[in-house]
Amino acid sequence: MAEPTATISRPQRWDVPFDSKMDAAAVDSVLAIAPFSRIDPTNFPKSTPLRDILLNDTSLRSFRKGEVIVREGDYGNSAFFIIRGSVKVALGKDAIPATLLGRRETHKKNFLETLGQLWRNPLHPEVRDTARYSAARAASAAARSGDARSPLPGGSRPPLARKDEVKAGAVFLSDIPAVLKGGTVSLGAGLFFGEIAALGRTPRTASIFADEPSELLEIRWQGLRELRLRAPEIKQFVDTNYRKYSLENHLRETEYFKDLTPEELKLVADQTRFETYGGFDWHTDYKKNRDTSPVERMRGEPVIAEQGQYANGLILIRAGFARLSQKYNHGERTASYLARGQMFGFKEIAHNWRSKDTVSLRYTLRALGYVDVLVVPTHVVEKYVLPKIAAADLPPLIEAKHEAENLISPLEQLSGKLPTDFVEFLVDHRFINGRATMLIDLERCTRCDDCVRACAAGHDNNPRFVRHGQQLGSYMVATACMHCLDPVCMIGCPTGAISRDSAGGQVVINDVTCIGCSTCANSCPYNNIQMVEIRDARGEPLLDQEKKPVTKAAKCDLCLEQPAGPACVRACPHDALTRLNIRDTDTLAAWLQR
Amino acid sequence: MAATLTPSFRRILLRAGLLAVAVGGVWSWQHGLAISLHHTAIFTGLALLGTCLGLALFNSRKKLPFLPLLRAATWTQFHIYAGWFSIFLFLLHTGLRWPDGLFESLLASVFTLVALSGVFGLYLSRTLPARLTHHGENVIYERIPALRSKLQRDVEALVLKSVEDTKSCTIADFYATRLKSYFDRPRNFFYYLTRGQAPLKNILSEIRLLERYTNEREHAILAELTECLQAKENLDFQLAGQGLLKYWLFVHIPLTASLLLLGAFHGLLVFYFAGGLR
Repeated sequence: MAEPTATISRPQRWDVPFDSKMDAAAVDSVLAIAPFSRIDPTNFPKSTPLRDILLNDTSLRSFRKGEVIVREGDYGNSAFFIIRGSVKVALGKDAIPATLLGRRETHKKNFLETLGQLWRNPLHPEVRDTARYSAARAASAAARSGDARSPLPGGSRPPLARKDEVKAGAVFLSDIPAVLKGGTVSLGAGLFFGEIAALGRTPRTASIFADEPSELLEIRWQGLRELRLRAPEIKQFVDTNYRKYSLENHLRETEYFKDLTPEELKLVADQTRFETYGGFDWHTDYKKNRDTSPVERMRGEPVIAEQGQYANGLILIRAGFARLSQKYNHGERTASYLARGQMFGFKEIAHNWRSKDTVSLRYTLRALGYVDVLVVPTHVVEKYVLPKIAAADLPPLIEAKHEAENLISPLEQLSGKLPTDFVEFLVDHRFINGRATMLIDLERCTRCDDCVRACAAGHDNNPRFVRHGQQLGSYMVATACMHCLDPVCMIGCPTGAISRDSAGGQVVINDVTCIGCSTCANSCPYNNIQMVEIRDARGEPLLDQEKKPVTKAAKCDLCLEQPAGPACVRACPHDALTRLNIRDTDTLAAWLQR
Repeated sequence: MAATLTPSFRRILLRAGLLAVAVGGVWSWQHGLAISLHHTAIFTGLALLGTCLGLALFNSRKKLPFLPLLRAATWTQFHIYAGWFSIFLFLLHTGLRWPDGLFESLLASVFTLVALSGVFGLYLSRTLPARLTHHGENVIYERIPALRSKLQRDVEALVLKSVEDTKSCTIADFYATRLKSYFDRPRNFFYYLTRGQAPLKNILSEIRLLERYTNEREHAILAELTECLQAKENLDFQLAGQGLLKYWLFVHIPLTASLLLLGAFHGLLVFYFAGGLR
């Protein structure tokens, strides 16, 4: 008689909390502090009450003087609220040498572990060790029951965070003035930080360390999202900080603003406007409209600045992507695409400042999905920015004939390296979002599927991509996770199971905390995430208590743990397949023209 | 002039140059041994066996995709040039003569077949991908039977609808007598390999002939049928091309295994008759 199919508990959102040592007393302590004390708990639905969010999506942490809290360049999945003490933000790029930051390295399998996959890999696809799931739940439960915080005595405010001795992996800056290259900004109790990276799914823009013994509340971004959604106090609090600090930070990082004094920078910041185009959930509109004609799709993209208009301000892209296009006959031709950190209109403003003849904007800038921009008014740029730039560093004057020709200058079309149809293809399908896009040269690909087999060998006997996808001429963008610049798949994940690897920014799924809700798979605009039915060692599907198959999200992880890197690229016998950052147009062009 | 060469062509020139140097070096070495009255066949035979073993390792590398053992593309290039080099070694070893013994003839035949299948595979891998890419929609090989079945169901539904809409059996009869067998299974494998499109052209010309006897509604149905025929032709082409790209290895690899066994046995025999085992 066949053995019955194994059943497991269906994974739930808070099976594995952010910090299993958070307890009711700790939640009470947090709720006693502003702005949390002002939150109305009745605004929260029964399924996600305020207390449960604080219990499961936050962690109380203590830091000693000099201890690094966040590192510049790391991908953050959480924000911090300073309860006590103060922290310092190291200003400037690479303000603290990377060697001193103690960045966590992703675990890579060693040679024997790698070789061991030959005989350790299960025979069936998507086999999971169910003991891991129950162990994670048991560990969380044990931590809560066995090591609960003692209740707070009335009226007193003992330290909220655990007094860990020295946390494993903690990194201290022992001689702070000596290691810092630039200045610092101090943040005191009652402020948030890290929310820009957490909410924007972007790398941390600065390293932050404790300036004195400090107690911080770390909030997983799923929890922060709920708090912003249900508590106007938190939303206002976070958004005000977000605008204030990110604006100055962004301006400081912009090349032409780097020579401004702090006072000038503040004056510029005061006159800079925030503008937002499109919605955070751009993927929904994109999916809805992707079968319409490219012309119709372009018409639906909000115009940020239009060709032929006077350049009223310098536009800095803060988040998202924008299409740069130019009129061509009766349509518009895409010249390039801009992303975070890039600017629009500087050449025109610089030209008009130096020359008697005035030129208008030569391109139209359109929002591709959600775009956040800063607009620095032209008169501000002319007064504070342009005089500080050496004449040799200013862009060359725009020749009148180029403007009149109404044609894209080849030099301005992504350095003239990518053919127009390829640029249109990348923009139309939003592949510009890709940081590790799988491109296949179909004139070299013999359809041998060695890439697929190699992928399966390293991933539960089931490949994490489909060797099929959108195609332009001889090039195909395969259905494989692109590890996007803006990973919208992360937006709705209720547990934080899908997140960025802090070091490399690869988008990865934690199989233990994934509850199989499909939100990420449905959000991915490129259908690059699959829901798979998991199995036991005998190959039987695992069922929940209601006898429904348990599913997990599965996608390419760029072979993060394999020592040799992405197996698909290494397995291709004809050098037909590559993983490319689409923003790296030099490498892309070189690959196309090899 | 170098500036006008593409990077890939420059790489080919470099590898071909290295191959020429290797060939020249081995030829000089063998010539030197012959002048000094050495038995050169022993050395060239060992070199040939070693090269064949090295070539065969490529398949083992494919089974270990996660190990850091150089990229498969690097192995392929080595495989190709070492393959040409092995042919040169074989010619040097046999002295450009076909062996007269039964076992040696068998061994030489197997080597020739391995070499020919390798060259054939190289030709396929350099020519078929571009043809497959530009012929029509690219489909995954394993999905072709399902796509063909769906296409056949669509065509049958279209034909039945034509009978209902037009109250005429002309198209249905044409389907039953001429098209059904075309949609039933993969067709015209060899035509596709020779770049021929005669079967499709023949059917399409018969459809054009049928248009003379049909009304406008039927013309529209025939136009849809034509699209389906072209889709079927593409599926057949993809099946033939991708199948060939996959299955030539089913000749090359078993023959290679046989070659290694026979080669090793040949080595033992030589060693034995040279007095090594006595």
